[in-house]
Formats: sequence, structure tokens, C-alpha cells
Amino acid sequence: MEIVQIIGIAFVATFIVVLLRQYKPEYTIHISIIAGIIIFGLVVFKLSAIIELLQTLSNKLGVNAKFFAILIKITGIAYLSEFAVNICKDSGESAIAAKVELGSKILIVSMSIPILGALLDTMASILP
Amino acid sequence: MEVQLLFKIAAIGILVAVLHQVLVKAGREDQAMMTTLTGLVIVLAMVVKEISNLFNTVKTLFNL
Repeated sequence: MEIVQIIGIAFVATFIVVLLRQYKPEYTIHISIIAGIIIFGLVVFKLSAIIELLQTLSNKLGVNAKFFAILIKITGIAYLSEFAVNICKDSGESAIAAKVELGSKILIVSMSIPILGALLDTMASILP
Repeated sequence: MEVQLLFKIAAIGILVAVLHQVLVKAGREDQAMMTTLTGLVIVLAMVVKEISNLFNTVKTLFNL
């Protein structure tokens, strides 16, 4: 049922943005940011349930808890940067969006270095 | 609560647009600019509060 709510909010926000664009285009960015936050707020509880499920699964499978935490962090960074990139692109600032994307990519790679290290160690131990 | 915020910002935007037109037609461009700026600052304050809420939920959710 939440999908109907999400679509309703999206249409209302789009209608308001189209209405305001001809009078005061500065307000359209705020409307799209608030609509994004509202829609995220609707699904945030389901997302935390999914993350807890993955947590219990990874503990059961014996996956190293540190790696799983890094994975969750990376998804968080990816979500936030995607949110910012799309807002910047909507308002026509694709240069700023590209900088945010670059920054988030560098952060993600720098966070995944321990995982790469562990991968290399396991490969080295497997190879004769 | 949330959708109400959306309508509040739309109302402020339309109000400022109307005020801007009225003041411009009345020949007071500087005051028109002032009303636009104050409207923008009010909306920005609301949006920044919501953005900080978003960042807090994401921080606790993904334990960043």
C-alpha cells in the first residue's frame, strides 16, 4: 500500500514544481529535496528490517562482521551521494554533481581497502 | 506531518511570487527583492532542518 502513497507524493511534488517553475524557480529545488526526504522516510523502517535480516544471515554464514559493516557503510554512502547527485543534476549543476560523484567513489574505494587486502590474502593462501 | 511541509513550502513560494509581482508593479523593486530573499531564507531553514533529520536517520541506519 505504501507504493500508492509514494506515487501520490511524487505526483503532488512534481505538480507543485511545475507550477512554481514559471514564477519562482528557486523554490523548485527545495520541493524536490523535501519530496525525496518524505519518500525515504516512508520506506526507512523496511530498509532497517532488511539490514537486520542481512546482519543475522551474515553472522550465521560466518561472514566477518567487519566486512559486512563496511558493506553497509558503502551502501549508505552510495545512497546519500546518489541523492545529492540527482538533486544537483535536476537544478542544472552537472559539474557539482560530477564532483560529488567523484568524492563518493573515492570514499567507497578507500573504505573497501581492508576487504581487498583480505581477498588477496585468501587468494595467496589458496594458490600453491 | 511530512506532506504538510510540502504544501507549506508551495504556499510560501506562491505567496512570495505574488508579493514580488505586486511590489514590482508598485515600483518598489528593492522591497520585492527583500521579500523574495526572506521567503527563500524561511524555506531554506525548513529544508535544512529536514536534511539534518535525513542525515541522522541514514547515519543510524547504515551506522556510518
